[in-house]
This record gives sequence, C-alpha cells and structure tokens, in this order.
Amino acid sequence: MAELAERPGLPAPTPGSIDEAKRQKLLELVRGRALARPTDLAEDEVMVWPSLVVVEAVSAVVFTAILFALSVLVNGPLLDRANPNQTPNPSKAPWYFLNLQELLLHMDAGLAGVIVPTVALVAIAAIPYFDRSPLGVGILGTSSKGRRIIAFATVYSIVVVVGMILVDEKIGRGTQFGIGSYMMDHWGATEFMTGVILSTIIMLIPIFILVGIVKAIFRPTRREIIIALFTGFFVTYWVLTMFGTSFRGHGQDLTWPWNLPLTHG
Amino acid sequence: MRREQTLADRITGSALWRSFVRHGYPDTQRNQALIIASNVFLHIHPVKIKRYATKVTYTFCLGGLSFFMFLVLTMTGILLMFYYIPSSTQAYQSMLDIQSSVTFGQLMRNMHRWAAQGMVISVFLHMARVFYTGSYKPPREFNWVVGVLLLVVTFLLSFSGYLLPWDQLAYWAITVGTNIGGAAPIIGPQVNKILLGDFQIAQSTLIRFYTLHVIFLPLAAAFLMAVHFWRIRKDGGISGPL
Repeated sequence: MAELAERPGLPAPTPGSIDEAKRQKLLELVRGRALARPTDLAEDEVMVWPSLVVVEAVSAVVFTAILFALSVLVNGPLLDRANPNQTPNPSKAPWYFLNLQELLLHMDAGLAGVIVPTVALVAIAAIPYFDRSPLGVGILGTSSKGRRIIAFATVYSIVVVVGMILVDEKIGRGTQFGIGSYMMDHWGATEFMTGVILSTIIMLIPIFILVGIVKAIFRPTRREIIIALFTGFFVTYWVLTMFGTSFRGHGQDLTWPWNLPLTHG
Repeated sequence: MRREQTLADRITGSALWRSFVRHGYPDTQRNQALIIASNVFLHIHPVKIKRYATKVTYTFCLGGLSFFMFLVLTMTGILLMFYYIPSSTQAYQSMLDIQSSVTFGQLMRNMHRWAAQGMVISVFLHMARVFYTGSYKPPREFNWVVGVLLLVVTFLLSFSGYLLPWDQLAYWAITVGTNIGGAAPIIGPQVNKILLGDFQIAQSTLIRFYTLHVIFLPLAAAFLMAVHFWRIRKDGGISGPL
C-alpha cells in the first residue's frame, strides 16, 4: 500500500474512503489446484494392475511372513483344563474387554459393562451425521490445527484417565472419590445414585472440560471438536486396556506388570 | 519370418488355457484392464484408480490387512475344525492333541490365535485411520456405520472363540465377559441365560459359542464385508484429498 500511494499519477488512497462493511479481508491462503481442470484425468490415475495389486501382494506376503515367524516362535497359551471350582485370582476377560473390566472396578456394573460401551459405539456410528462438511477429507488430522488438537487431547486423556484411576484407588476404589460413600453415609443415597448417576456425572465432567479447553485454545470447527472427542475415546480405550492387562494383580489391586501371574493372552 | 513356438506359447495358445484365461499377458494397458475386469477376485477393484490411493502411508494397508487376516483365520480355522471337538469333556483333550499329535497342529493353532488378536487391533486401527482422514464424510457415512458393525462382529468373533480351548484362561475369561453382559439393565439376566444356556458355563455354552464362532459370525462378517467393499466402489472409491 505504501508503495502504491507514493507512485505518481495514482491518487493516494484516503483512509475511510472504502466502505468498511464491504471491504474484503484476506482470511487464509490455501494451497489448491487451478479452477480449470483438464477433462482427461489420466495423469492422476494409475492402472490397478500393477500399481495397486503389487502393494496388496507385497503387504500380504510381509504380513504372512511376520505371522508365520511369530507363530513358530511363540505358542498360544493353554492353561490347565477348565475347572469351575477353582477361580483364578485375578480372573480377567479377554484383553480387548479389560477396559470395561477396569471401569467395572469404579462404578455400577451395568453402567461400566453395557451402557458406556453401547453409548460409545452409537456415538461413533453417528459421527458422519453430525460432521457433514467435506473439508479436510483425505488429510490426516484435517489440518495442522487438527493435528495439534490430537496431540493435546492425547496428553489430556492420558493424564486425566491415569489420574482418576490412581485417585479413586487411593481414596477407596468404587467410592466415587469418596463423594459416593459420603452421600451414602450422610444422605442415605442408594447404590443407583452413586454407582450410576454420580459415576456418569464424574465421567462427563472431564469430557466437557476437554471440549471447553479445546474451544478456548483452538477455536475449533465442529470436525475438530469431534477429533478431540474421538481422540479422547481412542486414548482412554488403550489406557484402560493397559491398566487391565498389565497393572491389575491379585484382588484387582494395582501392581507392576512383572508381578503379575499369567492370566491372559 | 515366424518365431519358433516355445512350450509356453503352446500352453497359453491351447484351447484349454484360452477357455479360462481370456486375455494376454498383462504387459499392455488393454490386457491390464482385462485381467482386472475378467477375474472374479480382482474385479473387486476398478481398472484405474487415483494415484494417491496406492500410497501405503495413507491407508497403512489396515483395511486390507483386516480382510487378509479374516482369510487366514478362515483357512486355519477350517483346519482346526477337522480335529477340535466341541464337547466339554473332550474339547481340552482335543486341544492337547492338536498341539502335540497333529502335524503342524500347534502352528495352525498359533497362527489362528495371533491372527485373531491381530485382527482386533488392525480393525480398531483401521477405524482410527478412516476417522483421522475424514473418510466417513458424505457420501461415505453409511459405510462408516457398516464399519462400526464390523468392529462389533470382530469383537464377538474373538470373544466366542476365546471359550473353545476349554482351559482355565478360556473358562474364567468368558465367565467375566458373560457376567459383564449379564449386568445389562433390565435385560441382563435374559442376556446371560441366552449366552450360557445354563446357570454357568457348561456344554450348552460351548456348543452355542462354537456355532456362533464357526458359522454364524463368519457369515455375518462376510455379509457385512460384501456390503462394505461394494460401498467403497459405489461411494467413489477410497477417499482422498479433494
């Protein structure tokens, strides 16, 4: 602007002469293709044979080799014959359900084992009906902002989930951080009020805080809020699974992985 | 001047060969198109795809690997079915026999077990890849729902197979798992009864889990996969940058 204004022959732009309401602002520079695109897309396309088929064949061979090597080296576990009269301590579900079993230690069984996973699956299935904007398709994490939100939500979820498990364990497992047992002792609260309602509220609070922080820091789109929530789910699933597989020993007490008896595999 | 016919020429020129291979060697674009279009297994693919769709770092092959593991599990599972007996009195002994007396039995069992664990992980990671690349967005929203159902079926396939070895690990893991299902509000006791067919894990439970594992759930998975793969084509192929 300064250069333009000093050039002779051109009237200097007078401040305020442009209608402020109509002035266009430069919002963002986006990398893109030219509007006019050639009708023949041959340059962008490749023949499936051989370009894709070779990728599939190589990955199948590599995977088979790894599976074969693993199966030669490591035997699947087979313990003693099933004995209904001898309950192992601890008894554990298959590893991919140990996240639910971990939740079970802290709240009502129906809430932990059925309602939470059902709500999570339905919410995941519903994502495309809430996020319909085509922006960011094909780009991992949508944008650099999306990737920063993933990083933030990952750290947040690890800290919060690990923190909540340790605090609940310290105060008294399944007492809802002592609030539930206080309500029972002093207000005559029922199991339903503490194990279901209070536990639900305790689970929802960190989710709302996550959304609140992401909104405050990143000014996210709807897609980016969903990225934060999905990342929270994904990380929580694996953190809980790791607690269940590697840190729960006798009586489901917290212990180190090397102190565990072999009870899952 | 005529080139002398080699043995390969005589085989590929024979009436028998030409009756089931209807194109020449795929070194021309025409034959490369024909091999995809005229082969029942390959025609799941289009003849041409966008260049980005062949990039390994975009998909990490996770969907394809999940399907491939399903095939490995089907093959090794069929082999195990020749020897496994779904009876509460004989199941554990047949496991011991598979591991010690059957040729390559231990290897088949290991491959089945590790591929099963691998499939749970790869299906889960495939879901994450599809999510983070925004590949569920319209017009692919229904295929995302089918994918979530496939995740559930994968969990159920793995869970139903978990009981079959009939060892302490299997018995008590399924006890914990079915107790979790039995904790469902209102319908819990019924769910538990339907799963077990008894008041605790017994012969009726084993045959239910076995039937679910070897026929019902694989068929359900195959049906959903057919829809899943078909929809990829119908929704414009694998997602990519606009």
